[in-house]
Amino acid sequence: MRRAPAAVLILTMIGSTFASAQDPARADARPTKNPLEGNAFAIGNGRAMFRNRCAGCHGPDARGYLGPDLTAFWNAGGTDDRMFDIVRRGVPGTEMIGADAQRVLDKEIWQVLAYIRTLSAVPPPSPTGDVASGERIFRTNCSSCHVVNGRGGQLGPDLSRIGSARPRAGLLAKVRGTTAFTRPGYEAVTLVTRSGDRIRGVRKNEDEFSVQIMDTRERLQGYLKANLAEYTTDKQSLMPVYGPDRLGDKDVDDLLRYLTSLRGTQATRSSSQHE
Amino acid sequence: MRAVMIRIGHATLAAAALSFAWPLAAQQAAPAQVTPQDLRDGLKNPTRWITYGGDYGNHRNSPLTQITPANVNRLTAQWQFQTDTLGKFEAAPLVLDGVVYVTGPLDTGWAIDARTGRQIWRYRRDLPQGLIACCGLVNRGFGVLGDRLFKTTLDAHVVAISRKTGAIEWDTPMENFRHGYSGTTAPLVVKDKVIVGVAGAEYGVRGFIDAYDAQTGKQAWRFYTTAGPEDPGHGTWRGTDAKAWEHGGGSIWVPGAYDPELNLVYWGTGNAGPDYNGLEREGDNLYTASIVALDADTGKLRWHYQFTPHDIWDYDSTQMPVLADITIGGEPRPSTGSGRTEPAEVRKVVLFANRNGFFYVLDRATGKLIRGKPFIQTTWAKEIRADGRPMLLPNSVPSDEGTKVCPDQSGGTNWMPPSYDPSLGLFFVTARESCGIFFTWKDDYNPGDAFRGGAVQRMGETQFSALRAIDVATGERRWEFPYTAQSWAGVLSTASGLVFAGGSGNVMAFDAKTGKNLWHFQSGSSLYAGAITYMVDDKQYVLMPAGTTLTAFALAEF
Repeated sequence: MRRAPAAVLILTMIGSTFASAQDPARADARPTKNPLEGNAFAIGNGRAMFRNRCAGCHGPDARGYLGPDLTAFWNAGGTDDRMFDIVRRGVPGTEMIGADAQRVLDKEIWQVLAYIRTLSAVPPPSPTGDVASGERIFRTNCSSCHVVNGRGGQLGPDLSRIGSARPRAGLLAKVRGTTAFTRPGYEAVTLVTRSGDRIRGVRKNEDEFSVQIMDTRERLQGYLKANLAEYTTDKQSLMPVYGPDRLGDKDVDDLLRYLTSLRGTQATRSSSQHE
Repeated sequence: MRAVMIRIGHATLAAAALSFAWPLAAQQAAPAQVTPQDLRDGLKNPTRWITYGGDYGNHRNSPLTQITPANVNRLTAQWQFQTDTLGKFEAAPLVLDGVVYVTGPLDTGWAIDARTGRQIWRYRRDLPQGLIACCGLVNRGFGVLGDRLFKTTLDAHVVAISRKTGAIEWDTPMENFRHGYSGTTAPLVVKDKVIVGVAGAEYGVRGFIDAYDAQTGKQAWRFYTTAGPEDPGHGTWRGTDAKAWEHGGGSIWVPGAYDPELNLVYWGTGNAGPDYNGLEREGDNLYTASIVALDADTGKLRWHYQFTPHDIWDYDSTQMPVLADITIGGEPRPSTGSGRTEPAEVRKVVLFANRNGFFYVLDRATGKLIRGKPFIQTTWAKEIRADGRPMLLPNSVPSDEGTKVCPDQSGGTNWMPPSYDPSLGLFFVTARESCGIFFTWKDDYNPGDAFRGGAVQRMGETQFSALRAIDVATGERRWEFPYTAQSWAGVLSTASGLVFAGGSGNVMAFDAKTGKNLWHFQSGSSLYAGAITYMVDDKQYVLMPAGTTLTAFALAEF
């Protein structure tokens, strides 16, 4: 009982910080249903805003690329209210950041939602593939470099929540090697020391005088550029390309079913927020 | 345990190194009162730093020569000061009589012992809820006169603070912060006036430059940067919104320059609003994205030059104007295209590296363009015509499909101050190479709401920045040092032939003649301000803000 007020206080503070970011009266009055749905002017403005702020990750048609397919949201039981909250607050542990209340007005979020809603007519295809088989394929091919729920290698990104961060199409492109996208902090580099040692790894940081990497043996190490004979950023990611010769369509289908099912455990959710 | 500090004096060395003959006794004189003449003298007394740009011409070029290209590799950190706040320094610290006066984020300020970094007093404004400031709760520094400091506040006031105690001596509101007005510029103190302005062009403010009486805080004059009905420039606001000029932007957030002989102050003005949608404000939109020369006593407009007529790219012209007397001619003049060699002559000019990507040389008595040349890649305009207007390039108007334009909305440079070394005729600027996809939509003006009419997607793969040295006689680049990532560092140069700037958190020293990097120190945070330099106890310090930390460097004493 004595502890409870502290928790309540923290929640109240979070609540008031959120509300005070804009006019409190307006925040209280925010509708749960999009007041601009179907409004032609709002849809036009929303389309431009969507292209500017959202399309980079969710694709120009909102069917998802780096970020999830948004056209499926309402069909899957999503509400305007929920979508508004996601846009305003972001999704922890993913690249989806919240919309700063000082830069993005409520009205603008509703305009974007009004536009996305116009794209939602077609229901998404139902998922195919086998999760259990996909997990086996993952353990065989991927887990030496990728962690899922605490197990796996560290050279590539933790995929414990990848299902809420990436749509199937984006994951497919990554597996088949048809995208050049590499998450920042995982760009492949090759270093050659003055003594002729050749080191491959992923770049964690860099400045004018030094570079910090994780090498392929997962050793974290910094190098002074002045001490390197060669330093190149490689075009090709360290992740192998899994073409049809290495992974058949059925296996890829199973793998993607597994990956899109990954929404993180409670533990990985809280740890990912520390990133 | 009490530490006993033993100073190894090297006064003899210092005296030999200094090429000027400033009497050392003057440093030890009783409590210094800053007079208008002191401000005019600027860095003639190079032991101190009493205006944002070092002097009224904003050269940021110190006569101090203890630290040289030959010994700069011995530069070591002497002390650090941390603000214990969120945010970042964007201020130029002032130094006077052995004390550093600096403003920090969230309307804070400090007096700090310039020898040791120990705090003497702290100022913190009790800010109201609901501040509206688009681009960081920052401040660019104090102004000083007598024994008072002056600063603008995030809630759009101007305050005078006692230099001895940090206590408020007067507090005058400029405008209503709830309507998007805020204060971030350092003041320009001229004679008995404190000249300031307001930020907020992303919220549809009507920008202005204000002068306040340094004694009383009473407003002396105001110049609006969007031309109202009584102003000859009013016809440059056409389009569907008859009131566009009332929320047309033109904010003021980096300090200006002053020419005592012409008695003119020069200020760069911010973007037109809404930033990316010009449909409701057809015309040039005077006096946004311009430089205005105002009578320092009355605020009356003497001349203006608009860098970006009808700005639709957020190309604020709020960069620090630099006043110089330079030799022009003795070479074919590009602007006439005749190839004819003009006789060389010394001209009084304003040098201006603009966010729109062009480096301008203007006659500072008349505002006439002498030269405008790109110092980065630009795709909105190709060149500046002889009549002073940019030659616009096609396909550069923001659209609802998105239009690629270079530079991006953060521009070829930004608030970070450049420096100018008259002995070399070189202008040093942190230049940004970038492109963005510019989108536009319609925004309704609503007081206090964001009013941008669009937004920009940065194109990360096109971005880098570099320290560039521009030959002011020709506008050509003499050298550059490319940084690994975008830099927001201001620049300082010294008469010994050094340039201080940096990137990726590295504070760096360069040979001013060649651009060779001679020294660096990783500060641990990005740089958003420029270094200043001062001398105390015959020791030259270089003081660099980085993140929320100040680091003072001096030569190691062996």
